[in-house]
Amino acid sequence: MTKLENSTMERPFHREHRSTVGTFTSDNPRIVCRSVDVYYGEKHAVQNINIDVGRHQVIALIGPSGCGKSTFLRCLNRMNDTIPDCRVTGDISMDGIAINGPEVDVVPLRAQVGMVFQKPNPFPKSIFENVAYGPRIHGLASNPSDLEEIVENSLRRAGLWDEVKDRLPQPGTGLSGGQQQRLCIARTIAVNPEVILMDEPCSALDPIATAKIEQLIDELRALYTIVIVTHSMQQAARVSQRTAFFHLGHLIEVGETAQVFTNPQHQLTEEYITGRFG
Amino acid sequence: MEKSTLFLLILLGSTIAYMRTTWRARTLAETSGRKLHSLPGFYGYYTALWCALPGLLLLLLWLLGEGSLLTAGALARLPESFLDGAAPEKIQLLVNDIKSIAQGSFEGQIDPAIQMAADRFSELTQWSRILLTVLSITASLSGLLFAQTRINPDFRARNHVETVVRVVLIGCALTAIFTTVGIVLSVLIESLRFFNMVPITDFLFGLKWSPQIAMRADQAGSSGAFGVIPLLLGTLLISTVALVVAVPIGLLSAIYLSEYATPNFRAIAKPLIEILAGIPTVVYGFFAALVVAPFLRNMGAEIGLEISSESALAAGLVMGIMIIPFVSSLSDDFINAVPQSLRDGAYALGATQSETIRQVVIPAALPGIVGGILLAASRAIGETMIVVMAAGLSANLTLNPLAAVTTVTTQIVTLLVGDQEFDSPKTLAAFALGLILFILTLCLNILALRIVRKYREQYE
Repeated sequence: MTKLENSTMERPFHREHRSTVGTFTSDNPRIVCRSVDVYYGEKHAVQNINIDVGRHQVIALIGPSGCGKSTFLRCLNRMNDTIPDCRVTGDISMDGIAINGPEVDVVPLRAQVGMVFQKPNPFPKSIFENVAYGPRIHGLASNPSDLEEIVENSLRRAGLWDEVKDRLPQPGTGLSGGQQQRLCIARTIAVNPEVILMDEPCSALDPIATAKIEQLIDELRALYTIVIVTHSMQQAARVSQRTAFFHLGHLIEVGETAQVFTNPQHQLTEEYITGRFG
Repeated sequence: MEKSTLFLLILLGSTIAYMRTTWRARTLAETSGRKLHSLPGFYGYYTALWCALPGLLLLLLWLLGEGSLLTAGALARLPESFLDGAAPEKIQLLVNDIKSIAQGSFEGQIDPAIQMAADRFSELTQWSRILLTVLSITASLSGLLFAQTRINPDFRARNHVETVVRVVLIGCALTAIFTTVGIVLSVLIESLRFFNMVPITDFLFGLKWSPQIAMRADQAGSSGAFGVIPLLLGTLLISTVALVVAVPIGLLSAIYLSEYATPNFRAIAKPLIEILAGIPTVVYGFFAALVVAPFLRNMGAEIGLEISSESALAAGLVMGIMIIPFVSSLSDDFINAVPQSLRDGAYALGATQSETIRQVVIPAALPGIVGGILLAASRAIGETMIVVMAAGLSANLTLNPLAAVTTVTTQIVTLLVGDQEFDSPKTLAAFALGLILFILTLCLNILALRIVRKYREQYE
């Protein structure tokens, strides 16, 4: 108990303080979110989120299970539209253009904002067709050799080309878990997005596959803006430049990753990153 | 004592044995202060089983063997002259006479020799009854006593009871298996008899089906033709029409229900569609024969098409409606079984809902859907009532759905309706047709189950 009292003394914001601390704005923002709320039916799942996502940056969303970080992530490419009863309010804009209104066409939006899921979910098609699917539905390739080039480039960028170049016609579901996840990343970058959302992309993978994906994320930063939800604080520390800590639907603290992990402002953040709950 | 009374008595005895032994085991545990190996109830079951099983087994044995022993005893009293060289049918008649005299229900002149045999029969029946009563009660009681002597805290009653339970379970499973094997064997053996009369090649490859057998040898058309090809072709034609109707409607309605419909609409529509499967086929049959067929014929006449009043089209259309629920229900299940993560993956790439369904969901569910369609097809092939009423009896070798055709099932019905000699090729042909039908649907079912199982492995 004394320790808790001590830390309360150290931290300027105690546990009950629930508005965002730290710098939520970014100098060069790609996505700007202001007063975003998400409701599942009557449940107010995500409350009053204000955050900027900087260009060519990796921002990690951390927090205990059920804190709303995945729900918030799914606002950025309107995936919450597929859940009945789910309502998103507030302003979300990408490069200055609002993306949360009912008038926004989600098809081009989702082509710009790709998503990688927690569990690798390759389509039950060949490796080639998995990557070629996005370019096909968006008409990105004018002829078969273009398509082959897109597929090869995407697989190369996802670091999978050398492992699969001789087995492109085989089913994507036959790959190992880590390979499947990199296939899903290749599939996502094949449509040439600007932002990639990753929802706990390594939680179903072993440490070696995780290390490969993390390295990949670092490389992809040069070309894309990445928002990653993760349960692993080490992962957040390793791959991200900024970190946002969510708790019970609130964005508690956001800031430079190094700063959030070494000198958290809020008591809840400090307790979470030191493993006292979560 | 009557057998039924005896049966009830044994059951009553074992119930009492159960209650008494359970109580005894409980007091035994209390008085001796030791822990019983099994719960008291198991000691009760153990004793009850030892009480019931020996008596019931004896009863069963009697039921199986008594009749033939009694008649053998009665016939032994008849003078030699009655039995020498008599045909088996004749002896059967004699036995029936003896039994009805013994029961006092015979009317007419009674031969004294037969009367004697009948008296012997009644006498033997009496003895048999007394013997059975004494034996089965003794058996039950000694079983009971034996079980009682074994009740002590170390006795593993639960293990013994569970062995018996396992034997009963095995018995039930075997009953189902042996019944199937029995049916298949009997169909097979009768078919072999048929193939002795009609060469198997004629049957399998013959193009003409006309199973008339002459009453006299010199009658015109005395030799029937038993070529199964027209029947198979008719069956396949009607099934194809049915599938052409059922697959698109069933599949598309399944897609609508599982992907587009609101939960409320789905909750109402799905049971309504499944009601189609619950309509008796005979209702479909007269609907086909009395409504659809005349409608089609009139329509055909309007546009200058000649449609027979009993057409493959009418039967196939109605049969197609009948199997819609098979296709839609199974497809719906398999579409729902496609993981949401695959849909999310497609949506996240910017695919529209219809693109997602066409290019991701349906291909993923396809093996299951194909399995469902094959099950519906085997159902269509085996369907009888609709085709009997709507498709006609003329075995035309044609692929024209507007003509009258006949099917394997229809012909089985017509072959067996009415008075038939059991050993004529005409009757036996039904078994051969049954065999063909069985093999056909069996192959389809195996194929369908294989595909469905493969699909399951993929996602579980």
